[in-house]
Amino acid sequence: MNFTIRHARSCDCEHIMRLIMELAVYENMSEQVKITSKELERDGFSNHTFFKCLVAEVPEEHQTKEGHTIVGYCLYFYTYSTWEGCVIYMEDLYVMPEFRGNGIGKAMMCRIAQIGRQSECVRLQFSVLNWNKPSIEFYKSHGALDLTEKEGWHAMRFEVAAMEKLAQMTGATEHKNS
Amino acid sequence: MKYTIRHAGPQDCREIMRLIVELSVYEKLEEQVNITHKELEVDGFGENPFFKCLVAEVPEDKRTKEGHTVVGYSMYYFAYSPWKGRSICMEVLYVMPDFRGQGIGKALMCGIAKIGWDNKCTRLQFVVLDWNKPSIDFYKSHGAQNVTEKEGWQEMRIDDNAMEKLAQMAPKI
Repeated sequence: MNFTIRHARSCDCEHIMRLIMELAVYENMSEQVKITSKELERDGFSNHTFFKCLVAEVPEEHQTKEGHTIVGYCLYFYTYSTWEGCVIYMEDLYVMPEFRGNGIGKAMMCRIAQIGRQSECVRLQFSVLNWNKPSIEFYKSHGALDLTEKEGWHAMRFEVAAMEKLAQMTGATEHKNS
Repeated sequence: MKYTIRHAGPQDCREIMRLIVELSVYEKLEEQVNITHKELEVDGFGENPFFKCLVAEVPEDKRTKEGHTVVGYSMYYFAYSPWKGRSICMEVLYVMPDFRGQGIGKALMCGIAKIGWDNKCTRLQFVVLDWNKPSIDFYKSHGAQNVTEKEGWQEMRIDDNAMEKLAQMAPKI
């Protein structure tokens, strides 16, 4: 099947949001989705961007029943390792179920690796849910290491309430800009 | 003990590098450090910064035996959750052992939380090694959740040759 991988544009945000919701449902976490296409536009396509995105598109003759031609996306941003330097972080990689098996997911991941290399990144990092065996096998087949298993890294998070509490405690310390 | 938390500047890169190496020794992963202060200068303070940093500094009369006044740091960058929106990632939080117990680590972490809050982030994220019980307890005492345990997230990495191999297979855009 013919497909193209291209950089997302602001006008793609509604489609990216559609696919974000589909992936959240697949991961049994749809109730956790709190943003809309408006936040995606603001945060990905304005002066201060927090992420970039690739989309996978099929020709009109392969569009979905609902008439969509965007069938996959890969959201990424840059992070940093104090040991290795620049890192490219693949936050989400998703292809609609009926379009899998055509190399679309792999093509997007390869493109991320290439973008990372062009930016002199030495690592491509991401997370995957431990029950998602098909994805884990797919990634491992391309050389991915599971750092949680191998080195014992655990992902930690402060959610909104805990974060706000911490933010409010900064006034108690002496703080000045350099 | 008096201390200040401030934004790092390029002139702090040698000190930050010193502390990076100290932390890697503590985490038993010192052979993995492959950058120098030069990369920090370019990557943190050049045209397209990949990270920002807060440093903790003590007055001259409290400096270390070797004469250092920068005794801790926290490196951070912005990230994104397709479900929750903007987030801030604390890549490292480190205070020299002799200066712990003074609230410096907590002050650095709160500084990161405030920066995140001011930038409308809804999460502060980071990773910690599973055997680092003191750190895990510290974070949990402030409301952190272990999402590897709670939700099953595994941290994955593709590097070196595997990444190069993928890059060479990329389609043209």
